[in-house]
Amino acid sequence: MKVIKSSPVNINEKVIGRITKEPLSRFKRRDSIFATNDLNGKFAGYTGVITDNYCSDSILKRLNNIPLCHSVTELDYLNNGDIISLDENGNICVLYSKDSFHNAILVTEECNTNCIMCPQPRKKDKESITPFNIKLISLMDKSTKLLGITGGEPTLIGDELLEIINACKKYIPNAQVDILSNGIKYSDFEYVKRTVLLQHPNLMFAVSLYADTDNEHNDIVQAKGFHKTIQGLYNLALFNQRVEIRVVIHNLNYKRLLRLAEFIYHNFPFVYHIAFMGMETIELAEKNIRQIWIDPRDYMPQLKDAVLYLEQRNMAVSVYNLQLCILPEVLWRHAVRSISSWKNIYLDECKECGLRNDCGGFFSSSRDRHSEYIRPLKKESQFIT
Amino acid sequence: MKPYQLLPLRFHDFKNENMLLVNEAGEFLFSSKEEFNNMILYRLDTKSEIFLDLKSKHFLTDTEIEPVIKMLATKYRTKKSFLYDFTSLHMVVPTLRCNSKCKYCQVSSKSEDAVKYDMDKSTAKRTVDLIFMSPSSSIKIEFQGGEPLLNFEIVKYIIDYAEQCNLTEKKKLEFVVCTNLTLITEEILKYLQNHKAYISTSLDGAMALHNNNRPFRNGQGSYEVVTKNIKRVHEYLGEGSVSALMTATKASLEQFTDIIDEYLAQGFNAIFIRSLNPYGTAKEDLDSLGYRIEDFIKSYKKALKHIININLNGTFFVECYASILLGKILTPFTTGFVDLQSPSGVAISGVIYNHDGYVYVSDEARMLANAGDATFSMGSVHENTYQELFHSDKIVSLLKKSCLECLPICSHCAFQSYCGVDPIRNYAEQGEIVGNRMTSAVCKINIAIFQYLFELIKENDKPTMDVLWSWITHKPIVKEKQISHESN
Repeated sequence: MKVIKSSPVNINEKVIGRITKEPLSRFKRRDSIFATNDLNGKFAGYTGVITDNYCSDSILKRLNNIPLCHSVTELDYLNNGDIISLDENGNICVLYSKDSFHNAILVTEECNTNCIMCPQPRKKDKESITPFNIKLISLMDKSTKLLGITGGEPTLIGDELLEIINACKKYIPNAQVDILSNGIKYSDFEYVKRTVLLQHPNLMFAVSLYADTDNEHNDIVQAKGFHKTIQGLYNLALFNQRVEIRVVIHNLNYKRLLRLAEFIYHNFPFVYHIAFMGMETIELAEKNIRQIWIDPRDYMPQLKDAVLYLEQRNMAVSVYNLQLCILPEVLWRHAVRSISSWKNIYLDECKECGLRNDCGGFFSSSRDRHSEYIRPLKKESQFIT
Repeated sequence: MKPYQLLPLRFHDFKNENMLLVNEAGEFLFSSKEEFNNMILYRLDTKSEIFLDLKSKHFLTDTEIEPVIKMLATKYRTKKSFLYDFTSLHMVVPTLRCNSKCKYCQVSSKSEDAVKYDMDKSTAKRTVDLIFMSPSSSIKIEFQGGEPLLNFEIVKYIIDYAEQCNLTEKKKLEFVVCTNLTLITEEILKYLQNHKAYISTSLDGAMALHNNNRPFRNGQGSYEVVTKNIKRVHEYLGEGSVSALMTATKASLEQFTDIIDEYLAQGFNAIFIRSLNPYGTAKEDLDSLGYRIEDFIKSYKKALKHIININLNGTFFVECYASILLGKILTPFTTGFVDLQSPSGVAISGVIYNHDGYVYVSDEARMLANAGDATFSMGSVHENTYQELFHSDKIVSLLKKSCLECLPICSHCAFQSYCGVDPIRNYAEQGEIVGNRMTSAVCKINIAIFQYLFELIKENDKPTMDVLWSWITHKPIVKEKQISHESN
């Protein structure tokens, strides 16, 4: 999540609000954070005020205890309708960007697996963040098209996840809601049933599966999850839910990608979409890098076989987080610009690339760790969609 | 203690020291003989690739058993999902009269003026009422004959009445008219177009062969009028609105490639190469029409090669029988093909209503009845209720004896998952519904074709496999684009 630095005043606990760059009438200010460089107005009723100016003591006095962040470093990054939180250390967290297609909320940091390539390792939650998340959803724009629900393992908050799904149904009724899960909890038939009975019109369950056999998958997730994940997939299918399977590729599973594709086709032909994903090499992934790193270019033969296998069988399949210059051209039509814009970068080599605008680029963490084969492509190379 | 547990599997000694292994859900794998022997002797290294392959496809497990059985069961249910629907194919014989006198006529058709072989309105109405009692959500009404167009009034009556019934039933309703196309008129075409009916016709090959096999009752050839009318249907109802079947007689065997080229020339994109069925006239004249099974198989393989080449050269053209078998072998799904089901599709997938109101478990059952043996009559639309027709002891007993899983020889055949059983054919050929596989022509042909298809699958030549898959998915072949990819 994007974090902007500033100097805080009057902030004792985290506040959350929707950005407005225009002043609002006195009675419409609730839940709004006014972003302005004019500090001479009256701010009563706003949840907070942020400014890139420096604030003198005299102005501070007039604030009447309204939370304020001044000297904001990147005020231009924020737009009307974005949702931010302000904390006592002056960190402005961008929780939601109205114009982004990559909005996601983190509903817990706890997890029941411990994946060897996890970029977001599990932590104990101090307290439930569900009330905060529901508040966040309630502030989102009604026109929101997509919201990811992520963790940790979102299903670990149990019934609270149902509350969150309900909040999505109420406040962002047009949004597809993607639940990024390891699927283990969905082996509980009753839980699936209760989720489905919420009758959210546009849920998608993005379930991760890393190998076609139990030991190999379990070694990667460092838990005994394989058969529960499979039961979870079956239960979701039983209720006609839309299911996506996500496969992160690394040194421990690349050799059998085709076998995994066969396994998916024969056991879960009902899945809506399959995504093969390059790794984000931070946190646990960084720690275990010697064990799991493989230059993505080196697994292209296996990836190509797997993707074309599924494509031939009319399965929708995509490739995330991998760059056009290392992907075989037959896979270009499957490559998706999948990296959230706030952490999406390009390398120096990419400056001369004719296809930079069609390419998904890199995670910011990949600056120092990426394929050895990154190189600019000519514009003439035709991009096939 | 055993290092792993084997799960149900069947196998087939394949060419060149290979084994073909098939699991209960129809997933297959090739192994070497050595690997196979190691597997059954519990000597496989559980870290080896072959072990992981076998485990991935649920031939064995070295960890949990119960969840793996559950996965196999799920796949098995998918393969048997045709059982959920109950009868969806409803064949109706509006008349047994026919203006053709085909050499191999299997239904013992009657002359054009024998109007007592026409279906009457009350029979037609009761037939449609029964059809809509089927619990299946999709209903296909297929008009057989005789030549249905000789009694087009009843065809129209049935279509109109079925559509009327469907206003409240709201099933997926389809009509197919199986006709020799010689009697088609502007008016009929217009009607079929308005009711979105498909046409299925017969074309046995080029002029000489077709005329020889399928003359009119007066002895004249029908080729010219049939091909002219195929063109008309294509113009009127569009591409894909008409499909054709051929029946292979002794004279056809040497001409398969010509027959295929004739199909291409007539604008078809598929052919169904069918061997002769031993009913009606075909049974009587087996000496002049029939052939050795080995000869049919040889010609079929040659034909399939020819068809694959046609596809490789850029024309999409399907051999339907191979396509059905490949769908069963290569996908986790089943096909709706009544002849290849276990339990047999008789009555529970397809059923036929004869012109006189008698109901039979399959088209072949009614062919037998036309020839005087009514063993497989289910009853009459006038005298019996739906329950009496479809849930009789007779049907249950017939189905019980038509599960490949427990038929001698079939029970351990590696191709069982892809095959089916036709108890009526067994009865007709061998006098007994369980039948004897050792002497069964159908069994011999199917095994030979399975073996050939698995040879192609084993070879795994990418262009060939792309062709075979394009038949299953009906999706044009995606050619890999070779664009240079240099850096600048």
